Amino acid sequence: MDTTQKACVRSDQKRGYKMPPVMIELEKVTKIYGQGEKRVVALADVSLKVKKGEIFGIIGLSGAGKSTLIRCINKLEEPQSGTIRLDGQEITKLKGKELRAARRKIGMIFQHFNLLSSRTVDRNIAFPLEIAGVNPKEREERVRSLMDLVGLADKTHAYPSELSGGQKQRVGIARALANNPEVLLCDEATSSLDPETTKSILRLLQDVNRRFGLTIVLITHQMEVIKEICDTVAVIDEGRIVEEGPVVELFAHPRSLAARRFMKGVLHTEIPRETRERAVLGSPQERWGQRVRISFIGEVAGKPIISSMIRQYNVDVNILYANLDFIKNTPFGSIIVEVTGDKDKIEAALAFLTAQGLKLEVL
Amino acid sequence: MIWSLIVKATVETGYMVGVALVLSALVGIPLGILLVITAPRHIKPLPLLHRVLSVVINVGRSLPFIILLVAIIPFTRWLVGTSIGTAGAIVPLTISAIPFMARVVESALLEIDWGVIEAAQAMGGSTRQIIAKVLIPEAVPGLVLGVTMVAVSLISYSAMAGAVGGGGLGDLAIRYGYQRFRGDIMFWTVLVLVVIVQGLQSFGGWLAAKLNHR
Repeated sequence: MDTTQKACVRSDQKRGYKMPPVMIELEKVTKIYGQGEKRVVALADVSLKVKKGEIFGIIGLSGAGKSTLIRCINKLEEPQSGTIRLDGQEITKLKGKELRAARRKIGMIFQHFNLLSSRTVDRNIAFPLEIAGVNPKEREERVRSLMDLVGLADKTHAYPSELSGGQKQRVGIARALANNPEVLLCDEATSSLDPETTKSILRLLQDVNRRFGLTIVLITHQMEVIKEICDTVAVIDEGRIVEEGPVVELFAHPRSLAARRFMKGVLHTEIPRETRERAVLGSPQERWGQRVRISFIGEVAGKPIISSMIRQYNVDVNILYANLDFIKNTPFGSIIVEVTGDKDKIEAALAFLTAQGLKLEVL
Repeated sequence: MIWSLIVKATVETGYMVGVALVLSALVGIPLGILLVITAPRHIKPLPLLHRVLSVVINVGRSLPFIILLVAIIPFTRWLVGTSIGTAGAIVPLTISAIPFMARVVESALLEIDWGVIEAAQAMGGSTRQIIAKVLIPEAVPGLVLGVTMVAVSLISYSAMAGAVGGGGLGDLAIRYGYQRFRGDIMFWTVLVLVVIVQGLQSFGGWLAAKLNHR
């Protein structure tokens, strides 16, 4: 390695240090339940880094270990080995009073809301403030502003049993934010809500993430949730992180089998059977044709690449299927086309597409 | 004459049951809470203490009241100076109701959704805070029903206490109704007992429903 290279590495490291500070860091976390034959490895050597201010999603099937994983972050579950650091503080080492103090800075919301049935909405929101020993005057002010924040000011004296699922989760969110946490853990927070309510809860989460710079870690089995609000995603399968990276990246190039499985439900990248059959029947046998799936992401979606290709290379394009989607404001889509024409021209045309930054897959 | 007897006996029963209920609640409720929270995987796991408490409570629950009553006579005499009369009856009544109360509290606390307790833990609640702000308030409807149940069985136990001269409605029914062949007194005593138990149960049920926001 010469000196310039060394300098380069050093500046990279420096930048990595300063740029997005790490909020949560898991290092080789292992959690095993039971013993002997009933032994279940819930987490196997899991390492993760969650950056400050991002929305980090963990997706997995039930039993994949995601619930255990999120519970380790506030030590509701204690791993057998590995360390978990939150804003530099080693959570895994904390006990008693120190642990409780650290937990006050970590909000958590749940699939089944877990509100106190004996308390009205405002008392539920006041609950964590009581625990933290906030004085009554300040407490009431805080409760009022939180109720406004989540849009429940008219439900002050309602009991949880009188609320809808979405309203209950709003109370849950207000309660979780009461002590101004730096991190919000969401344990399948939208899994028992209908799609419409899920959207509104996700919007609220995104809103608090932006307004307070809150770091959010959420676990889910719904790819929709990841697609809607997450910046980074980790795919967990049988206690292992099989894939991790920016959400857009995962959608564009899913590497693991587990990720592809999740993707299927959200993106219809398969050619519908009807079109596939029709296309085969309709394609002229005597001419050279190539069926290609073109995936595009980001800015390229706005460019008229296909028509340029048709004009420049004099090929015919039959669009069999097209789909455009948005992953957290980034356009993402795929088109399945049948390109017909001279063999060389088709090859040149496809090369042109690749050069434009599109991902091609010959079918 | 018959009415003054019945009124006097009813007051005695009310006194015995009332005092025994309050005393057994004072001991039994904390005991029940301790039993629950020390269980494995609860908020303050202390397996050994949990096992000991459970065994002690079971022993208390398995003693027939009439046996307990005579078995602890020396203790009763030492504690209140007499083993007969209402004061003498309160001691065994209380002692037999304590383990019952503890089990009743246990089942009321185990009714609470674990997620709610976990949420309080996640907020950084201490054991004390979780007991005071989650376990007890959330279990109130169940506790009311449980205490009602204990009160009803205390009434029936108090009738047995009558056998050792404890006074009260049971005593009246045995001494006048049975031993003196006074069918009318027997009838009225039984009727009063039925009305009291019925009223107590209805009140308990009503109160529990009113306090239940689940």
